[in-house]
Amino acid sequence: MAGSSMKAIKLRIRSVESTMQITKAMQLVATSKLRKAKERMEVSKPYAAISREAIMGAVSSLEDTSLPYLRAREVKKRCYVVIAGERGLAGGYNANVFKAVLAHAEGTPYCVLPLGRKAIEKFERMGIELLNDDYWHVEGLSVTVCYKLAGILTDGYLREDFDEIFLVYTSFQSMMTQEVKTEKLLPIEKTEENKRPVTAVYEPSAEEMLTRVMPDFLAGRLYSACCDAFASEVSARRNAMDSATKNAGEMIANLRLHYNRARQGAITQEITEIVAGAEH
Amino acid sequence: MATYHLQIVTPDRLVYDGMVESLIVRAVDGDVCILANHIDYATPLGIGEAQVTDAEGKTRTAACNGGLLSVQDNQVRLVAITFEWQDEIDLERAKQAEASAAEKLKELERKDRDFAIAEAKLKRAITRIHVKG
Repeated sequence: MAGSSMKAIKLRIRSVESTMQITKAMQLVATSKLRKAKERMEVSKPYAAISREAIMGAVSSLEDTSLPYLRAREVKKRCYVVIAGERGLAGGYNANVFKAVLAHAEGTPYCVLPLGRKAIEKFERMGIELLNDDYWHVEGLSVTVCYKLAGILTDGYLREDFDEIFLVYTSFQSMMTQEVKTEKLLPIEKTEENKRPVTAVYEPSAEEMLTRVMPDFLAGRLYSACCDAFASEVSARRNAMDSATKNAGEMIANLRLHYNRARQGAITQEITEIVAGAEH
Repeated sequence: MATYHLQIVTPDRLVYDGMVESLIVRAVDGDVCILANHIDYATPLGIGEAQVTDAEGKTRTAACNGGLLSVQDNQVRLVAITFEWQDEIDLERAKQAEASAAEKLKELERKDRDFAIAEAKLKRAITRIHVKG
């Protein structure tokens, strides 16, 4: 009996060890990808910030406008741009994004422009209208693709297929924390920060400029969100795999203890049997 | 000569961040030149050659495509879709792009949606070749 339980424990240890090897390898891969992803995120930031400032300047110079990009209309349908991962095993990374979308979308019909395989699968399963059926890796998503996506968004918005566009992605705060963010892309709202008076000269006109530049602006926004989301994904995966590896290590230590106990028990029993046999 | 702070950005990088004397770019309705103490100004950009003269008086040329130019309190920002310095341009690739875009334009009608895209591609390729040569 003792022998069979020893064998079972040994098998168990071996299986946990091989799992640990996988989680460890995934952690290493994530760590090495993280550095690159963070670099890419850093270089994409100036564009988003600078273009936003320039756009907001133009927006605040327009008092009253018929420009559809700035006019809120009755919301019959929303569009969500959802950035999720390529695969799971990243803790709550994908689930948190979907939860945020579902909570936000509650009560309004919506369609989704998914980025990342997990997002496509999720919304396809839910039977939600998807705006594109091609799919691109969020990792290394090119600027060209972002322009294409921004084109889909602005075309749909101007055709009034949907009346509001939201972007849901995970923003990288630090190695340990990633935060899901929901941002309104269109229509652009006037906020306090851009209400200051503007005296700039716009050529040909502020409206004309916004019309031309809006797709570029959205593309830049998407690109930087993707870089941000990918850095979050990798660091979420790194953390998940780190704790998985730690857990596996703990489990192995426990199992070793049990194994040694069983071995000791078996030896003791054998000795008692021999001694008992010799006395007779 | 008086200088001002210029930042050039594209979605994937910060191309330039420093003091310059002048900047010439192609706006939608012609070239504009920005010198120091320009009035606050903003305009969308077309596809064309850009020239940057830095604080030491050295001039560099580049192929610049789309985006916008904004001047605010003597801070100039060029937010471009693509911006390549002369020495970064891949002439072979530009020539190939020119050939394939020209080919495509022949097949398309002016009212096609793809016509404008192919036309813009052709323009970009021609600009690159021009800046390089």
